[in-house]
Amino acid sequence: MSMVERSLKYLDERLGTASLARKTLRKVFPDHWSFLLGEIALFALVVLIFTGTFLTFFYTPSVQEVVYNGPYAPLQGTEVSAAYNSVLRLSFEVRAGLLMRQTHHWAALVFVASIVVHLCRIFFTGAFRRPREVNWLVGVGLLFLALGEGFTGYSLPDDLLSGIGLRIFYSVTLAIPVVGTWVTYLLFGGEFPAPDIISRLFVFHIMLIPALLLALVGVHLAILVLQKHTQFPGHGRTERNVVGKRLWPEQTFKSVSLLLFCTAVLALLGGLAQINPVWQYGPFVAYNVTSPAQPDWYIGFLDGALRLGPPWDLTLFGFTISEVFWPAVLFPGIAFGILTLWPWIERRFTRDRAEHHLLDRPRDTPVRTGIGTAGLTVFFIMFLEGGNDIFGVLLNVPVETVTRILQWSLLIAPIVTFLITYWICKGLSRTRLRPAQINAGVRLSRTPDGGYETVSLEPVEAEEELEPAER
Amino acid sequence: MRRNAILLGGIALLAVALTPATGTATSSRAARAAAQQADSQAAEARGRELYQTACASCHGPDPAGASYYPRVPSLADTGGAAAVNWVLRTGRMPWKDNKGPAIERGEPRFNDEDIHALVTYIGKAVGDAQIPDVDPARGDLQRGRELYGQACAACHGMNGAGAALGGENIAVSLQDVHPQDVAEAIKIGPGQMPVGGGLTEYEFGTAQSQQDVDDIAAYVESLRTDPYNEGGAPIGGKGPVPEGFVAWVIGLGILVVAARWIAGRG
Amino acid sequence: MTDSDQGSERVDVDRQSEHGPTERRMTGGQRRAERRAGAALAVAIVAGVGLFVVYFAGGQTQVEGVLFAIAFGGLGVALGIWANHLLDAREVVEERHELTSGPAGREAFENALTEEVGPVLGRRSLLLKLLAGAGGALGLALLLPVLSLGPAPGDTLKVTPWRRGSRVVDEEGDPVSLNQVPEDGFLTVFPEGHEGTADAQALLIHVRQGSLKLPPERMAGVPEGTHVAYSKICTHAGCPVGLYRAESQSLICPCHQSQFDVSDGAKPFFGPAARPLPQLPLGVGEDGVLVAQGDFSAPVGPAFWDMNRGR
Repeated sequence: MSMVERSLKYLDERLGTASLARKTLRKVFPDHWSFLLGEIALFALVVLIFTGTFLTFFYTPSVQEVVYNGPYAPLQGTEVSAAYNSVLRLSFEVRAGLLMRQTHHWAALVFVASIVVHLCRIFFTGAFRRPREVNWLVGVGLLFLALGEGFTGYSLPDDLLSGIGLRIFYSVTLAIPVVGTWVTYLLFGGEFPAPDIISRLFVFHIMLIPALLLALVGVHLAILVLQKHTQFPGHGRTERNVVGKRLWPEQTFKSVSLLLFCTAVLALLGGLAQINPVWQYGPFVAYNVTSPAQPDWYIGFLDGALRLGPPWDLTLFGFTISEVFWPAVLFPGIAFGILTLWPWIERRFTRDRAEHHLLDRPRDTPVRTGIGTAGLTVFFIMFLEGGNDIFGVLLNVPVETVTRILQWSLLIAPIVTFLITYWICKGLSRTRLRPAQINAGVRLSRTPDGGYETVSLEPVEAEEELEPAER
Repeated sequence: MRRNAILLGGIALLAVALTPATGTATSSRAARAAAQQADSQAAEARGRELYQTACASCHGPDPAGASYYPRVPSLADTGGAAAVNWVLRTGRMPWKDNKGPAIERGEPRFNDEDIHALVTYIGKAVGDAQIPDVDPARGDLQRGRELYGQACAACHGMNGAGAALGGENIAVSLQDVHPQDVAEAIKIGPGQMPVGGGLTEYEFGTAQSQQDVDDIAAYVESLRTDPYNEGGAPIGGKGPVPEGFVAWVIGLGILVVAARWIAGRG
Repeated sequence: MTDSDQGSERVDVDRQSEHGPTERRMTGGQRRAERRAGAALAVAIVAGVGLFVVYFAGGQTQVEGVLFAIAFGGLGVALGIWANHLLDAREVVEERHELTSGPAGREAFENALTEEVGPVLGRRSLLLKLLAGAGGALGLALLLPVLSLGPAPGDTLKVTPWRRGSRVVDEEGDPVSLNQVPEDGFLTVFPEGHEGTADAQALLIHVRQGSLKLPPERMAGVPEGTHVAYSKICTHAGCPVGLYRAESQSLICPCHQSQFDVSDGAKPFFGPAARPLPQLPLGVGEDGVLVAQGDFSAPVGPAFWDMNRGR
């Protein structure tokens, strides 16, 4: 027996790994490129963890003032926080430090982007329907955790730009009715700029949120394995089977290949494209500001919402509801609430309580697809507004005009988008051939000598009911 | 496979297009800051000639007098010789027919001699012939950064990226400007910028103000000569908005193409 | 074979498992794929070696990034080619099992829960109520340390260190005198002894003579009718409003483009801000240094629930 065979025997005698591994490796996963989008997110997370761990060895989560005397000349001799100093040291004085830092930040941007795209795939194909509602909740939870992780992360360097963002976050929590001031003071540790906030963000960023992220990712994958992946309708595919390739060897090779591509692309961006050059922004100073001032893209919709928001504050019985409440507390609450509860909202209208393992083509569910694109339109308008000053300069249009146009668009564009999408879906459904019944009917197939033959396809027989206890 | 290749090609083109985006400015020509003393009379005469052909149609027959149009300022109020030097060297004047929110900089339409001539003539006519002197080498880089942060960064950005100021106003990018531009703009206060550029106790000619201008010019010069873009292509230096664009289009774009290739015909 | 193995065999429909492993000869296409994969791996190796060279030569961010990308990418390309051309993977059909345990299974679970539970659980007994009470009390008590995370807001959001008689100083602590700031100029100021304090930050602006349109009681806080000071904290979301437009005597906040008219009490005339910037009333001390005549005219910064209740 070779060394490998002896090791496997050793493990199997103690843990029963052989049969467990065999079952796992033989699991079948359907083969569509859009099913890899979630994996892009997972692999971006892997890159984040590896690069992030490296960064943690160099970062100092403290606002204590130190004198900077590194190679960035404009700041030499200036008093900066220890946190800011550690990031500058990592960027300029640690070999491969800047590469790791930039790769980490690009990975964060791509992580959230890939979650969003993956979420869109799930939404538009109806993969959230029974029995996958729980996994939808887990996924939405992962999205929120990713947003929080990103925000806490880019606020750690204590630079001027992210400090401005923290100030806005402080004001948003202040705007929560009744408990706003208390929640804010507890979270930050007092009046702005609460010095404790940097070390607290650090705790969230390297411990609390990653723990929750990893736990939920584990749950997300476990449910996926338990329920098996969904698949698009097609030849041989029914609600009672999964048609695809086994985990070993093909899916493993493909997934590892995608992991390597993710790392490659993120390293390429990390080396070639400058991101968050905090030395240029300078350290955070509570009475200084810089322009233009935006957050990272995934918080950009909130920034845009704040820019779009009307100047309406409300005073009831002597209590004040800030104008910030509507765009930054109420709107995200409603939007994310709808997102979270979507499986149940849809079910209320479709009355569809059946189990679904076959996906919808988006064109076949025009209402859902229309609502989805309308929702994306709302967020997209807010993203555009978040960069209204930059787009204004780019397009030679006053920033006020950009804002007015986007304010009106917010009211009109989602409706227009819904109607156009609905119309396109209906059109596509009508004009393309599709089997009247899945896997039944007549199929033409070409013989090797060029002729045609018809093949009659019978529907695949349903498997008999299995006893529930045995798998 | 072909579709993947086309997608990838498109992304690559976009990446290349974004790479040299270091700022919107064209480099201004090296200015001879110190007004030449020799031939000032000849220069003045040439300046008068040039003024009549190139400037008088808007600014009026006499630089010190009223202009022809309500929205065109009289040259008596705009900052004297320094203002003339600045707008001519940066190609902002003669006014191009542009519909943009600010008087855009461009290639200067006069050569150095003619600029000197106009500066001499108009400066004498309006009674302010002083061109600021500036030397970044005399400036203290660290003090300049601090002054810049107090007086300039709010509008021009701590890294000189520039920003919209509402309406037709723009604080221009300072990532590629000449130190003479800095000194002259501080003296004139063009557009919405105050005279003195937001520096406290600015008084043209005093030693303290000269030091302040040199310091700020040193910092602005560092944005151009040594911008510390150690991280790679600055993508415009405008912060998270272009960064997000790159992450989606290039980062996620390449990965989606990769996923399609990996999945094969599945 | 174990039970679980039996189960997987029955569930699994693999039509070709009876034939054994297929032949290991390569087709022409596979040979080409093998060469391409090999080339990709070779490139990856070169890039990997290159990384060693670059790192020990001192490192360079751009080159390191490109080399990592080539190394990882080469491996990724090779595995992708391998997966698509060099494996014998077949499309397989796997049957789905029932997800539910069925009513029988659920009943069995319920029995497992309730079988040995005794006389107390499953009845509304006093003991259960007491248990709930204890759990609740302890649960709430466990949350108490959370309250130690921060102080009570009190009225700290409504007051700043500015007092009547506070001397106006710049961020370095140097006193600011009348006419020190040139016309059209601006300066960030603080009360003496509190330089740099965030909530005290104020913008002193030297406006043009006769341009202010404030009511008389407000004009009393503007020395010579030209030196006006407003809180620098935007009343929308708290960013420092540092962008002063001298020509139009207005301020614009870079965060969300709220615009405030300096000549008219810093009232917002565009953008999401709802309230004007509070004014800091100024006077002139004996030595010509500017002094405050009191705290700001309203709580500074963004609105909060009880901002208009008492002060």
